[in-house]
Amino acid sequence: MPNAILDPTGATKTAAKPAAARAPRPASLKGARVGLLINTKQNAAPFLHEVGRLLVENYGVASVTHRTKLNFAVPESDEVIKELAADADVVVTGVGDCGSCSAAAAADGVVCEAAGLPTAVIVTESFRATTEAMAELRGAPGFPYATTAHPVAVLSEDQVKERAAGVMDAVVALLTREIAEGTEKKA
Amino acid sequence: MTEPVTGAVADAIVEAAPDPDEARRAIEYCYQHGWSDGLPLVPASKPLVDEFLATTSREPDEIIGSLEQVGRDCTVYLAAVNAAMAGCKPEYFPVVLAAFDALMRERAARGGGFQSTSGPAPLIVVNGPVRHELEFNTAGGAFGDGFRPNATIPRAIGLIVRNAFGIRQHVLGQATQGVPGRWSICIAENEEESPWEPLAANAGQPGGVSAVSATLTRTCEFIDNRATAVTEEVLRDFADTIGRLGPQIFPQTPVALVLCPEHAQQFAGAGWSKADVQNWLIEHSGRTAGEMRRAGKGHVLRFGASADAEPVDDEHFHRVLSQPRQIPVIVAGAKNAGISMVARIFGEWSGIATPVGEKP
Repeated sequence: MPNAILDPTGATKTAAKPAAARAPRPASLKGARVGLLINTKQNAAPFLHEVGRLLVENYGVASVTHRTKLNFAVPESDEVIKELAADADVVVTGVGDCGSCSAAAAADGVVCEAAGLPTAVIVTESFRATTEAMAELRGAPGFPYATTAHPVAVLSEDQVKERAAGVMDAVVALLTREIAEGTEKKA
Repeated sequence: MTEPVTGAVADAIVEAAPDPDEARRAIEYCYQHGWSDGLPLVPASKPLVDEFLATTSREPDEIIGSLEQVGRDCTVYLAAVNAAMAGCKPEYFPVVLAAFDALMRERAARGGGFQSTSGPAPLIVVNGPVRHELEFNTAGGAFGDGFRPNATIPRAIGLIVRNAFGIRQHVLGQATQGVPGRWSICIAENEEESPWEPLAANAGQPGGVSAVSATLTRTCEFIDNRATAVTEEVLRDFADTIGRLGPQIFPQTPVALVLCPEHAQQFAGAGWSKADVQNWLIEHSGRTAGEMRRAGKGHVLRFGASADAEPVDDEHFHRVLSQPRQIPVIVAGAKNAGISMVARIFGEWSGIATPVGEKP
């Protein structure tokens, strides 16, 4: 009997993750408190603030608060997520425009959903694969998210506003309706 | 023309030569499972991996590194399987463990560096007697090929990241271009021709012990300067590369200085210590605010400044380094030309070396 070739991944020992819970969606955002989780990447703050402004102006959102990620490259600490959850009914996070921060945005989205917060994760189109891979690792295969074109960091103030306006339909749909698994809302 | 070999001699050769078709099947098996970095792997068997595990007192299931964001751990056992597949000899394994430990001390390595668009490479530096015991290349071609421990130990780290942590290109690995030779940089310091203390002594491991230091690097840039005996002139050439605009994305831009013996001895001969070289380069490496603004890097000047702070003048000289730990100095290569390298550190170096063969 020849020797087996050993598996270098250790994957056989990894137990399958239980499916992550998804928050129930409100019928509309009227009166909702929105929490922005800003990942500190260039133009992320003005992008998300414009999304917040449009949610107030056009969708009857009652308030917008924000928290800033301590480290864009990794999933956010429980403390920050708790702070966010204390003042918010729904969450918008992004803008994932790099390898680690787009994956981290997906991880944050899964955590927020499990905490009962409908969440819209926004990443640039270049980072779909890693966003989806991270969501799957976190027990949320097919996690829906919104995309905007890449890049975001070089945009002017007006261009950022235009882009933010462009994701609004997707963001509102992500926050208010049950979405079939695997349905990606494209901006 | 030589006579064909027959009889007992031929039998002995046949017995000694393994079956290449069987080897090919084993190699292809590893490719099919997606374990390879692109080059052929040594298929790892239990007897082979047991030889690796026998070189350390650490338990096979001890966790030696975790990437929390992807929920994956690396154990001593998994490191051994990947080191075997990388082509390491079993006796290299304590160095692999030390290198991995040193690398995982790095905040950038734990915090998404392997997933980064930067595609950074580990820069591994080996010091002490282990360099000769394991026949590392300590001389010419320090960044190059041709030497098994220098080539296979960083490859083992790359395979651990790929297989144990599950970071693969186009999925969780998002390198835009990545560093050329990403998993191939392992320098054994040329301590014999260095006029100064080895890097390990600057990193908490004095006394000539075998130790490994590691950080992540975004590229290596050469400085060819062999026509002046004036230390400050050579250093100004270094400062130009260290301070250049391309790598500036944060206010501080650490580098590792990999000096050739000729430059190191020239500086030391003129009475300069490592610290003198570091301090001179801290003082002189950077660009003016005007140069940064004209290259679209003006925003770097605003990091860390209060929102109502006055913008600095175009003449303001922005230094990219502020302390010696941001510019570790290593001596490597042959004493045959004034060619040194600046390795651009990704994030910050921890400044801590790991002794070989001991639990950290």
